[in-house]
Amino acid sequence: MSGLEDLVPPHLMMDAPEGLDTNLSDVVVPMWRQRLRIFAHNKLAIASVIFIVALVLFCFVGPLLYHTNQTDQATALNNVFNAPPSAKHLLGTDSSGFDELGRIMFGGEYSLSLGMLAGIITIVVGTIYGMISGFLGGVVDTVMMRILDALLSIPLLFLLITLIAVFTRSTLFLIIIIGVTGWFGNARIIRGDALLIKKLEYSQAATAMGASKWHIIIRHVFPNSMSNIVTVATFSVADAILFLSTLGFLGLGIPAPQTDWGTMLQEGSVQQSNGFWWEIYPTALLFVLLIVAITYVGEALRDAFEVRLLER
Amino acid sequence: MLNYVLRRLVQSFVVLLIVMLIIFTLPYFETNGILAPAYIVLGTHATPKAVHLWGVQNGMYHPYFVRFWNYLDQVFIHFNLGHSYKQNLSVWGIISLYVPRTIWLALTSLVLTVLIALPLGIFQASKRNTAFDYVATSTAFVLYGIPAFLLGILVLQFFSFGWPHLPASPPGAVAPWAMFTDPLGFILPVLTLTLLSIAFLSRFMRSAVLEVLVQDYVRTAKAKGCGRSRVLFRHALRNALGPIVIILGLYFPGLLGGAVVIESVFNYSGLGIQTINAASTLDIPTVLGITLLVAILTLLGNFLADVMLGVVNPRIRIERSGQ
Repeated sequence: MSGLEDLVPPHLMMDAPEGLDTNLSDVVVPMWRQRLRIFAHNKLAIASVIFIVALVLFCFVGPLLYHTNQTDQATALNNVFNAPPSAKHLLGTDSSGFDELGRIMFGGEYSLSLGMLAGIITIVVGTIYGMISGFLGGVVDTVMMRILDALLSIPLLFLLITLIAVFTRSTLFLIIIIGVTGWFGNARIIRGDALLIKKLEYSQAATAMGASKWHIIIRHVFPNSMSNIVTVATFSVADAILFLSTLGFLGLGIPAPQTDWGTMLQEGSVQQSNGFWWEIYPTALLFVLLIVAITYVGEALRDAFEVRLLER
Repeated sequence: MLNYVLRRLVQSFVVLLIVMLIIFTLPYFETNGILAPAYIVLGTHATPKAVHLWGVQNGMYHPYFVRFWNYLDQVFIHFNLGHSYKQNLSVWGIISLYVPRTIWLALTSLVLTVLIALPLGIFQASKRNTAFDYVATSTAFVLYGIPAFLLGILVLQFFSFGWPHLPASPPGAVAPWAMFTDPLGFILPVLTLTLLSIAFLSRFMRSAVLEVLVQDYVRTAKAKGCGRSRVLFRHALRNALGPIVIILGLYFPGLLGGAVVIESVFNYSGLGIQTINAASTLDIPTVLGITLLVAILTLLGNFLADVMLGVVNPRIRIERSGQ
């Protein structure tokens, strides 16, 4: 069932113009596979995906192979503070005596998983809010958008600091506040999508056939703005990781026994003038590469979903 | 035009009221209840009676809306943002001490950014897909991926601990004119904030100019024989400036957020350090006061951006004033 010949009766077949591909399976490819193909053509994007997967494996599987003590300060210390890299400690030790390489894995687990979870919260909340606002329109939309304006006019870092001042800090709480404060921009984008899709023929046809608003939102608006949701989600995860690390650097991040890359960099920066490079650069390099990789995947996804670029 | 400005003004005011409602409501969610700050003010061993008295004195027992009304009255009629729990100063006193330093930091780097990023973006757009463009674009991309604090750490490493042995932090005095009497200490914080903003703004400028360069009127201008520079400056640039004006207005809060981090890296005693200290010592009135101020500045930035845009582009003015 691959050629055009199978679908069209022979007497209706015309000779295809020279050079035109008549193989239908090439012409009619499922939408997602077309997107994937464009994405796969982007070498840097593939490299970024590989890097991210490798980093996740490094942080989550690494500790199984490279055993270090990262929680019990009393036994971790061994009186070896700020030791340079050696055979025993491949990347040296930090100012509390923890093995730096193991610390990077341990902190990375928190940076990655908290960033991921907070990113998911932002996209879920943003999508729901944006779709309801955009689809219902009218007074509801106006009120919801003014509330959004208000939330957007408090700079995010100040909002986060305010929330941290008011609530007791914990890992779960950090996920929630970064998630709860990160969705404003996402809601704007998704609302734009909902406004657009609402006006398209298929939504109007569904309305004419008596479909309820919620049915249209769930069955038509949501699947058709999926491309934007996926793209925005990618950027959200990068933002969440950035904000988590910034809070960590300001000393308002994950509380003591745990750590993340931002907190580690803050501790490293205290030792900076002593020239203990191993406490900053390995973490910093992985961190920057992670953010650049995620951002690049996001941009590649956006390109892949851009209909205008389909005929490349 | 007046109609448009008034409309935007009313809108901004409504948004400000919502912001104040949010800021006012947050302490209600405090983990240990609305009276928890009493233990910060009076000490951890305060007797229940003293805590109760503190609650009465501060009107904590009034109904929610009465308290909100009092808050509005306090802020708008008496310009009073409350008293710090930790420092023997009013919140307004803290703000007026430190805000000039932060504004200096933000404004200096904003001016430098505009002077550098706009020409850079235009140049990149006009030399699109050349080696220079690739280098500038990827540098901006990596700079954009580096969080502000990390860039600060790197700048310190290279310019303070390395050969150009610049001071790692500006003088501790809070006088806003210290930037002129002792400029050396201000170089690194301003440089870091400027680098961050350039990475952000030059990308925008480049794509704004590129977007305009493919428009029909640019093609027409080329067709009628305009020179390269005339097309770029008379036709493309004028139309690309609109989005940039908005971005600048919207970027201001980002700049303040960046300033918080930069102040913390370089130990620059400004509003940012005060906010962080207040947050970590649970000095809630100070945090809320500063947040409100920053929100007002942001709204003002958005408002000015919109008005400027209306001045630059008559279509928007007419469209948004409703008719």
